[in-house]
Amino acid sequence: MPLLASGPVSAQDRIASLNLCMDQLLLQWVAPERIVSVTWLSGEEYYRRAPLPEHLYLNRAQAEELLPLKPDLVLTGQYGAQRASQRLEQLGFPVVRIPDAYNLAQLQQQLASLQQALGEIPGLRQQQRELKALLDQTPEDGTRNPGALILSANNITYGDGMLEHELLIRAGFTNLAAQQGIQQLGRVSLEQVIDAQPQLLVFYGGEQDFAIAHLAERHPVLREYIETGRVYRLPQELGFCPALAAVDVLQQLMDKRKEIVGQP
Amino acid sequence: MAMLAALSSGPVSIDLSAAIAGGWHSDSSDAVILWQLRLPRAVLAIVVGAALGLGGAAMQGMLRNPLAEPALLGVSSGAALAAILVLYYGAAVSGYLLPLLAIAGALLAVGSVWLLAGHGASASRLVLAGVAINAFLSALMALALNYAPSMFAMQEIVFWLLGSLANRGWDQVLLALPFVVIGTVFLFLSRNYLRALSLGEASASSLGFSGRRYPLLVLFGIAFAVGASVAVAGTIGFIGLVVPHLMRPLVGQDPGRLLWSSALAGALLLLLADVLVLNTVGTQELRIGAVTAFIGAPFFFWLIVSGRRELNL
Repeated sequence: MPLLASGPVSAQDRIASLNLCMDQLLLQWVAPERIVSVTWLSGEEYYRRAPLPEHLYLNRAQAEELLPLKPDLVLTGQYGAQRASQRLEQLGFPVVRIPDAYNLAQLQQQLASLQQALGEIPGLRQQQRELKALLDQTPEDGTRNPGALILSANNITYGDGMLEHELLIRAGFTNLAAQQGIQQLGRVSLEQVIDAQPQLLVFYGGEQDFAIAHLAERHPVLREYIETGRVYRLPQELGFCPALAAVDVLQQLMDKRKEIVGQP
Repeated sequence: MAMLAALSSGPVSIDLSAAIAGGWHSDSSDAVILWQLRLPRAVLAIVVGAALGLGGAAMQGMLRNPLAEPALLGVSSGAALAAILVLYYGAAVSGYLLPLLAIAGALLAVGSVWLLAGHGASASRLVLAGVAINAFLSALMALALNYAPSMFAMQEIVFWLLGSLANRGWDQVLLALPFVVIGTVFLFLSRNYLRALSLGEASASSLGFSGRRYPLLVLFGIAFAVGASVAVAGTIGFIGLVVPHLMRPLVGQDPGRLLWSSALAGALLLLLADVLVLNTVGTQELRIGAVTAFIGAPFFFWLIVSGRRELNL
């Protein structure tokens, strides 16, 4: 779907969002008095990454909820809330669909689209700058790259074609899952983790309470990795809103690589 | 032999003899895979399978009902519900709290059945009480699913109910073993009671097996053994149902000998089921509860059909 027509965008002051990732980005970077509504998901402890101002209406992605609020900009994602956004468009509200990001190039595109929709925002501008700076760094020498393996919930691993894979590559690691031919998502058992002998074991989310999905991480056989510090935990938000975490993750992975390669 | 199959099965091909020769403390990845991943999983399959087979044999002996299995009296549901409530509605849980609470859940369920059936209840009254308690616990589990805090919690509860031996290690074995042993001891102590019961309740009491002691011994034995199994592996059904039927002709219908032979056969059956799980490739883990249910359902058909034939004679 096309973005709003280009041209100088005057600052909107009644912004609504129908998408969790858009919610969080708005709450992080835009002044709270400019936002009128975010989705109810942002009210959940599990998803909230920025404080939630009291005056906000938590919507359930229904057009009728947003009508009385008279938003002057409605942000929505590529999927989800399609009916609501189409309805609002028909009723004459300005709706901007920001595409999802599945790799770093798309992430930069996403940030650019946001900027075009929202105008000049310092936080957003800084994120774009930092991302560009990190990506401009010359990639490390391929032959010396330490191996990394992602062990996510329910023994899932990330292979070629995923944003997490690209972050590992850019940080100077070899993704052992991709090396073994895994495309997108694949299953990895603890045996395969031990056999692959990664120099960095990457967990994904799950630092909170006990969950069977993360039982593998607690197995004694991984203790050695945890004790020698050869683990890194990807933050949960990388999964549902990469724009929030990608820059920090990339920086931390680069630092981790220096730490590992520096070891004798 | 099943053990060898289990130890050779897995996504990574390892050099088995080298791994065994390497010994417990070896650092080679093959040895680690064998000693820390495959062996405890196989041992856990044996322990859980034995507990379930034993529980099933004891249950069928006490209730003299061919459809009896530990799940019938709410033991599995009680343990599972306790685990679910603790995991997803309670605070973060330390290692030993979960199995203890699961066993407490199993004991509570068994206790409720006993209370509901009343003092000196006959087998059929116990079955009725068991079905009632089971229905209630299933309703509570449905509520737990309904009000699960998130989609992930809901998925976890479902996976828990399907049962799994994946990602388990020696710590789970050591957690379950003491309780399974206690349960086994209780059940073996009651083997003569079960033998006497096969002559009928009146004959049993005239032989001196009257009063509450023995039924309670059996119930608590089942609660400990099966409760501990559920605590570490989730709910795995049909082992307790199928195994005693398979073993009964081999032990001459003796409920006492049936106990230990069911334990062995249960261990074997679960180990074989796990070998199947290990050798099944797919995007999702094949849950062992699904495999045992798949074995159990056709077995049911066979039970009915063969029973029908007998009646016609």
